[in-house]
Amino acid sequence: MKYTLVLISLLAIFNGAFAQDNYDVDLIPGALRNRANSCIRNEETVVDMRAPENVMVTVKRAITVFNENGEDEARLVLYYDKNTSIKAIKGEVYNAVGKPISKFSQSDFSDMSVADGFSLFVDSRVKHYLPNINQYPYTIVYNYEIRNKQNLIIPRWIPKPGDDVSVERSSYTFISKPTDDVRIKTLNFTGEPEVTIDDKQKKMIWKTSNILAVKTEPFSPDPETYRTSVQIAPKQFTYYNHKGSYQNWEELGKWVYNDLIKQRNTLAPTTISMVKDLVKNEKSDKDKARKIYQYLQEKTRYISVQIGIGGMQPIAASEVDRLGYGDCKALVNYMQSLLKAVDIDSYYCIVEAGNEKVSVDPQFADLAQGNHIILCLPLKGDTIWLECTNQKIPFGYLGDFTDDRLVFACTPEGGKLLRTPKLTAQNNLQVRKVSLNIKDDGTANGNMNTVFSGSQYDNSESIIGKSLIEQQKFLKNSYNIDNIDFENITYLQQKTENPKVIEDIKVNLRHYANINNGKMYLQLNAFNVTRSIPEIKARRLPVYINRGYTDEDTIIYSLPDNISTDFILPLKKSFESDFGTYESNVSLDGKKLIYHRKIKIIDGTFPAEKYALFSKFMSDVNMADHLKLMLSLKK
Amino acid sequence: MLNARFKLLQYLPTHSMKKIFFFLLLSSTYLTVFAQNFDFGSITYDDYEFDRKKLDSNANAVVLKEFGTARVEIDDATGRLELLFDYHVKIKIYNKEGFENANVIVPLYKDDSREETINDLKASTFNYVNGRFVETPMDKKATFFENRSKYTKLLKFTLPNLKEGSIIEYSYRLKSPNLFNFKTWEFQWKIPKVISEYLVYIPGIYNYNVSLRGYQKLTDQKVELARECLRLNGANIDCSKITYLMKDIPAFIEEDNMTAPSNFKSAIYFELSDVTNPSGAKTSYTKTWKDVDYELTSDKSFGSQMKRKDFYKEIVPAIVKDAPDDLTKAKVIFQYIKKQIKWDNYYGIYCADNIKKSFDNRSGNVANLNLNLIAALSAANLDAEAVILSTRENGIINKLYPVISDFNYVVAKLNIGDKSYMLDATEPLLPFGLLPLRCMNDQGRVINLKKPSYWIDLKASQKTVTNYILNGKLTNDGKIVGTLTTISQGYAAYAKRKEIKKYSSPDEYVEKLDDRLVKIKISEHEINNLDSVDNPLTEKYEIEFTVNDGSNKKEFYLSPFFINAISKNPFNLNVRTYPVDLGAASDERIIINIDLKDKYSLLEKPKNLAIALPNSGGKYLLQTQLDENILSLSQILQFNNAVYQPEEYPFLKEFYSKIIQNQKVEYLLKRAD
Repeated sequence: MKYTLVLISLLAIFNGAFAQDNYDVDLIPGALRNRANSCIRNEETVVDMRAPENVMVTVKRAITVFNENGEDEARLVLYYDKNTSIKAIKGEVYNAVGKPISKFSQSDFSDMSVADGFSLFVDSRVKHYLPNINQYPYTIVYNYEIRNKQNLIIPRWIPKPGDDVSVERSSYTFISKPTDDVRIKTLNFTGEPEVTIDDKQKKMIWKTSNILAVKTEPFSPDPETYRTSVQIAPKQFTYYNHKGSYQNWEELGKWVYNDLIKQRNTLAPTTISMVKDLVKNEKSDKDKARKIYQYLQEKTRYISVQIGIGGMQPIAASEVDRLGYGDCKALVNYMQSLLKAVDIDSYYCIVEAGNEKVSVDPQFADLAQGNHIILCLPLKGDTIWLECTNQKIPFGYLGDFTDDRLVFACTPEGGKLLRTPKLTAQNNLQVRKVSLNIKDDGTANGNMNTVFSGSQYDNSESIIGKSLIEQQKFLKNSYNIDNIDFENITYLQQKTENPKVIEDIKVNLRHYANINNGKMYLQLNAFNVTRSIPEIKARRLPVYINRGYTDEDTIIYSLPDNISTDFILPLKKSFESDFGTYESNVSLDGKKLIYHRKIKIIDGTFPAEKYALFSKFMSDVNMADHLKLMLSLKK
Repeated sequence: MLNARFKLLQYLPTHSMKKIFFFLLLSSTYLTVFAQNFDFGSITYDDYEFDRKKLDSNANAVVLKEFGTARVEIDDATGRLELLFDYHVKIKIYNKEGFENANVIVPLYKDDSREETINDLKASTFNYVNGRFVETPMDKKATFFENRSKYTKLLKFTLPNLKEGSIIEYSYRLKSPNLFNFKTWEFQWKIPKVISEYLVYIPGIYNYNVSLRGYQKLTDQKVELARECLRLNGANIDCSKITYLMKDIPAFIEEDNMTAPSNFKSAIYFELSDVTNPSGAKTSYTKTWKDVDYELTSDKSFGSQMKRKDFYKEIVPAIVKDAPDDLTKAKVIFQYIKKQIKWDNYYGIYCADNIKKSFDNRSGNVANLNLNLIAALSAANLDAEAVILSTRENGIINKLYPVISDFNYVVAKLNIGDKSYMLDATEPLLPFGLLPLRCMNDQGRVINLKKPSYWIDLKASQKTVTNYILNGKLTNDGKIVGTLTTISQGYAAYAKRKEIKKYSSPDEYVEKLDDRLVKIKISEHEINNLDSVDNPLTEKYEIEFTVNDGSNKKEFYLSPFFINAISKNPFNLNVRTYPVDLGAASDERIIINIDLKDKYSLLEKPKNLAIALPNSGGKYLLQTQLDENILSLSQILQFNNAVYQPEEYPFLKEFYSKIIQNQKVEYLLKRAD
């Protein structure tokens, strides 16, 4: 009797094991193959927080690669450093029918440093493996184990890493002591985790299955709004010999300020008296801050120095003072210290920087968010924001790298969430005025003046101060018209809180207007044709326009005498939609042909079904931008 | 007595290379005053005030002085000979754009047993403050080493207290166990240099081949005798003391469509030719092609693998049994190898494993794949040879003497009758006989197991050909409805196949295409020969697009350039310094026939055009006409060369410009009532 029981349970185990490890590609349901370049057959991530300084992460991952483009998902990239060690890696590769064809281990991985561009000392390294299989489909199975000597940042679960990946099964297990206090952020997950608790441990398991691959769509919102993820943040934590506890932004901010920044902002007495002397004639705090910012921009430059505690603690202000360079943390900390010397308070702010606006989550505090530091000056009635890594940017202007998003300010009183200023469609301007003389042979020349402001200032800021050769190259790229040449190039930067770049150039367009059979062909919109956007049938995701803008072009063409202007009629086009407005018109004033065009695109999130209208609008604009006039030559 | 032989060879990457190869004779003039190394920190007001307009008004920074010395010495600790390289430079920084020149990376070689080391690193920034130069020395601890990869370690440092107008200066000593390539000296950088001088001491027992690459010429060079510069096993050895000097060196600026920058950058390279041992015996390193042929054909990672046709003696007869002739046999074998073994993305002329192992693992480097292919072809009694070459990004080969390390790739050459075919099994999507674009780099060397090796031109065996045929009709509501057929060959077909294969099915590719072409609707599609790569790829689409709003005007304009209209000039630069390398000749043809259904007259139309590039470099033909109610267009755009010289650039520019001008014109159609 006893024997039978054992046998039955053994059989059950074997059956289970067999079912789990059958990687025959035919077992993948058809729906999971549709639009998929790869399919995650099974992924099991187990995070075992044995102690704050001992978090074991075990991952088993089986991926079927259907074709060459799915290969990226088969790639395994593991980062490690002093606090993260790779305990074991092994894996096998299976062919289409699920028969094992090869095995690999840690020695088959390549090992390299993670330095990007010029970075002084990056102590992170990476192990990398990609199998060489030329027969698709195939399945690769990884098993690896990583030990983290910290629990401030716990690996996140994102079961579906890309649009072209489908997921058969994926699970995430978090094990801790029953007494451990953790906060959990779950996004786009339906259901509840399975929880089991005994004396020794508390185990939570999240599971998902059968997620389909989808087509990638342009103008998509932040993936956080639709993809499943789980992020865990323990209350008590250890990080590079620092210990702390937090449950909200306020407490986390206090820790960052007290443990990472405070002791780093001491300056030498000579520097302090230098700063005091520097601002002695300035009246207001704002003027003082402006003066000091100018000093910072002249004295320092940005160098990536990713060293020390996981790239989270700035090097000391006195060091930056001596060296004249630092990374974003160091430069912000230095600027903060200089301001402190003249009793101006400021906040060290962690931000998720990038063109796409991403806010820190007000509901969930953790340090996995954010990748850049900026400085906030809460002056009375006038909050000033400073980007400290850029030597060209004006005082008080952040630009599209950190605009309009929630950032995390670390202050002595604790963390605070603040929103950076928004660059609006009305203010993101490009205003162009051109006068072109057209000669008998169709050659056009004249002056062009363009003013860039708001986020459009950012697009052209980098050209300021570049050599003439580089400016020529840049212009040839921006105004890619056949036979275009530029002369008398000047760029003027208005370095105010609402900065502008003013571009003044003389252009010459040889044979711009073609002459054929007694007619002159003139494309009216010479410099700013808006491109159409793809049509997407059955749009899935909402339409997201990250940043709005307004472009205004006025071109005055002086027509040659041999054009008969009798037949030129005024022409007007205008469209309106939820996404913006467009108008262009042509009028004649003696021999002057005046073309005026204005387009405004509004930022925001719109329902998915509106995409077709958006596409139609952009297509109409594109058509209108190609408007050509056929001018008759006098006989 | 000087027993070392020095000849300086300059070789330039041009297409008519054979003519350009030349030897620079040793200069006998001693008029130029050669500077010695300069003192560290001796910044003068002239340095500070150096007017960049004298050299290049666009420069963000200028190297004022650069001096290097390389010599051979005995390392006291190990007793081994090593290379000592002393480097010293002084740079004027004009503006913030020039700051990046203060971020320095020195790559160092390392392997399991030996490594290059850096000593005596000194670096300072000099600023002119209140009428005097203030030095800010760099901290020793501000230097970092990074293990970049298995064989490379990087020394990184950046200079402190940098301002616009600063002068930076740094120097270091590098010790290297590598005597084979002595130490390369790069005269040309991204920023211009006022003076760059390199002094080498070469012991008489060493014989190096020295070559100068690039477009710049040496201002001067000098050879002297340095007595007893090295003591080896109790004997004093004399050295040749050679100074290479270049002045007013322009900045190196990369351009589009060019092969490896190292082909064009001015630099001096060394390769060890032979060493005379104390006993008087000579060990030869750089050899004649005869020696290299022997070595390669007997090398266990090269010739020995080529010879292993016995490995295929059972496989090959089975797969070629139905093939009627040698060419078909070869095609079947080529197909088999491409399917059997996958390229692991590594280059090399030597096999990483033996061919059996890579066959079993179904993966291998370039040599593994192509030597497998040669062995398999030989097993079918076909005449197959190996061709070693250097890929485009690896640079041009020095053809004055064999430099095996210049080669990084090997392909197969198959000879049937008086025809030969170049084969590379790394890219399954390329047809039989067409090498990947990366191999189109001047010449390769054919290695035969029995005969002496020889050079062969590497030219694409097929043109890049694309044909578009549109047959359609104009509907009453102003649409054109019809069938567009595209036929692609050569690299065009390869690129298309690669693009289509990015999607999980051709249907998805077409769906994406339909999305992208906003104005065109694709209703049906048929893609043929996607996988039979030896045949032209054909795509057939039923399409529909709007040409006017259909308000049935009696007179309307219609642009005939629906397909691949040219509106931007790819050659828009005012000056071009280096050759334009397009990789392969190309041919694009467009035929459009549109049935207007009703009677129209053609009031206006683009001119019929026939223009050509000089020396039969290419041509453009355009013909349009209205015949009865069929409106037709035929257009041919041909480039006959893969490479165009800088002096041909203005012609290319004008050629495109003429096409663009003409394509601005539209048809004006008038309905006949």
